[in-house]
Amino acid sequence: MLTLTINGQSREVDAPDDMPLLWVLRDHLNLVGTKYGCGIAQCGACTVHVGGKPVRSCQLAVGDVGTRAVVTIEGVGNTSHGAKVQQAWMEGAVPQCGYCQAGQIMSATALLDGNPNPDDSDIDAAMAGNLCRCGTYIRVRRAIKSAVAKSA
Amino acid sequence: MKKIIGIVVVSIVAVALGFAGWLLLGRDPMSFAGGSTVALEDYKGSNITGVPAQLAGADLVKRGEYIIHAADCRACHTAPGGTPFAGGFAFNVPFGTIYSTNITPDKQTGIGNYTDAQFLAAVHKGIRADGENLYPAMPYTSYTYLTDDDALAIKAYLFTLEPVHAPAKQDQLSWPYNQRSLLALWNVVFNLDERFRPDTDQSRQWNRGAYLAEAMGHCGECHTPRNFAYALDNHRKFAGALTAGWRAYNITSDKDAGIGDWNDEDIYLYLSTGHATGHGGAAGPMGEAADDSLSYLVPDDVHALVTYLRGIPAHGSDLPRTITTPAPASHKEGLVAESDTLGEKLFAGVCASCHDWTGVSPVTGYATLTGVRAVNDPSATNVAQTVINGVDRKTAKGRIFMPAFGAGYSDDDIAAVANYVTARFGAEGAHLTGRDVADLRKLASQHSNPEEAPHG
Repeated sequence: MLTLTINGQSREVDAPDDMPLLWVLRDHLNLVGTKYGCGIAQCGACTVHVGGKPVRSCQLAVGDVGTRAVVTIEGVGNTSHGAKVQQAWMEGAVPQCGYCQAGQIMSATALLDGNPNPDDSDIDAAMAGNLCRCGTYIRVRRAIKSAVAKSA
Repeated sequence: MKKIIGIVVVSIVAVALGFAGWLLLGRDPMSFAGGSTVALEDYKGSNITGVPAQLAGADLVKRGEYIIHAADCRACHTAPGGTPFAGGFAFNVPFGTIYSTNITPDKQTGIGNYTDAQFLAAVHKGIRADGENLYPAMPYTSYTYLTDDDALAIKAYLFTLEPVHAPAKQDQLSWPYNQRSLLALWNVVFNLDERFRPDTDQSRQWNRGAYLAEAMGHCGECHTPRNFAYALDNHRKFAGALTAGWRAYNITSDKDAGIGDWNDEDIYLYLSTGHATGHGGAAGPMGEAADDSLSYLVPDDVHALVTYLRGIPAHGSDLPRTITTPAPASHKEGLVAESDTLGEKLFAGVCASCHDWTGVSPVTGYATLTGVRAVNDPSATNVAQTVINGVDRKTAKGRIFMPAFGAGYSDDDIAAVANYVTARFGAEGAHLTGRDVADLRKLASQHSNPEEAPHG
C-alpha cells in the first residue's frame, strides 16, 4: 500500500511500485482530467506537478513519487498561479479540442511558480514539450502573458 | 663495412624482439598484478572458479545457468528482438561485419552435435567443430581462462534450450580478413590458451574477482584498447575503447578519467543494478551487461569484482573529470556561450520534460545527467548513441525507458542536441557534426546495409 499526497489530500493506493503515476491517477483514483497522450513523455498531455515540478506522469513510476506532493489539473485551481492561469485560459478561449490542455495548464502554472514574469524565451523553454495538434500555441502564449498580468 | 651491417642487423633484430616481447606481454590481462601464479589444482585457498558457495550443491544445469549469465553469452548470441542464443547479432568491425552464431542445440544450424571436446575447443581455442577458426569477436582469448568444468556447465545449460533452426548469417569481410585460416597465426601470438592461474600474492576475493572479470565477464573485450592486430593491449588495461560505436569507458583507478574517485558502494551498485546515484545509469552495451549478466551475480561475487577493479593500475585518457554540480534551473544561465541554438530548441521540446534544465531528473535517477560519464565525454559518442537508440532496460526496479530518437530526427539534429547536452551538463561541449552522427549510426547498426534500413 502506497500513501500519496494528491491535491493536498492523503490517498492510499494499492498499486505496484512500477505502475506509472498516470495509471494510478486515472484508474485507481478516478482523476481523469490528466490525459494519456503518447505514453513516452513526448507530448506533455499527462503533465502533473510532483514536488512543484512539472512531470510527465506516464513515465514516473508511482513508487518513485515518495513524499513529494502531487498536484493534478483537478487541484491546480486551488493554487494562486493555477487559478490565474485557468482564468486566463477561459478568457482567451485557448482550447480547441481540449485534449492537451490539462497538460498545457499544468506546465504553464509550473512556469509561473518558478518564474512569475517569464519572457518569450522562458515560455518557449517551459512549454516546448507540450504538443497541441490543434495548434493553439499562439493562444497558449497569449494566455500565459495575460495570467502574468493578473499577478502584477 | 661488415661491422656496420652487423650492427644494423643486430639492432633490427633487437627492436623486432623487443616489439614481439612487448606484444606478448600485452596478452596477459592479469600480468599487471605481478605476483606469482599457480595452477588451479595447486591453489591452497578456497575455490575461486565455478558458482558461489550457495549454489555449490545445485545441479549441473543450474550451475551452468549462473555461469552463462556471468559469462554473458546471451548479449552477443542474440539478435535484437530475436530468440535468445539463436545468434545473428552483427559486429561492425573496421574490416566488415561478423555475425554471432546459433548456440541453441539445433543439430543442423546450432551446436546440437558438439561433443564436450569440440565445445571446449571453441571456447578455449576459438576452433569450431568443423576445424575452422572463429573470429576473436567470440572472446575466446578471455574464455580460455574458464575451467573445463565451467565451460561444460555452460554447454549443459545450452543443451536444455529449445533447439532453434537459425542458419548462420554470411559474414561480410574484406580480404584478407575473410581468410579464417590466417587466424591460426593470430592465435599463436595472441591466444595464451591456458586456464586461469590464481595469484598467490593476492587475496581469495581478488582472485575470484579476477576470474569473474577475465574468464567469465570478459570486461576487457570492450574496456581495453586494441593493438594494430585487433588484439587486446593490456599495457593500457581497462583504459577505455570504442566498441560497436559506443565508448566503453576507462575503468582503471585513475581519479579523473577512470573510476578511482568512485566509492566501493557506487561501483557495487553500478555493476549490480546499472545505476549509481551521482554517476547515472548505464545505457547501450553496458546496460545490457548489467541487465543480462551482472545483475544475476550474488552480492559476494559483485564485491569480488569491486575488489579486483580497485586494483587496476591507473591509466589516464582523454576524459576530463566529471562535473558533479547540476546546471542552473533557467535555460538562460549556464554554458550559454557554447550552447547550440538548435540543440537548445530540441532539448526544450524533447528532453527537458524528463531531464530538466538542471540535468537532475524529477522522474527517475536513471535519467539524471549530472555526473554521468557519457555526458562528461567531449566526444559525446554515448550521448549521441543513447539519443539514437534510446534506452529500454528491464531492471529489478522495473522498466527503464527512454524513446529512441534515431528514426525521427536528422543527423544534424542529433549532433546539435548531443553538443548542447555535453556543454550544458558536462565538463566540455562536444563538436559533433551530422556526418559524425551518421558514422555512429553505422557502427552500432544491426543492419548489414544501414543505407537500406528504414530511417537508418
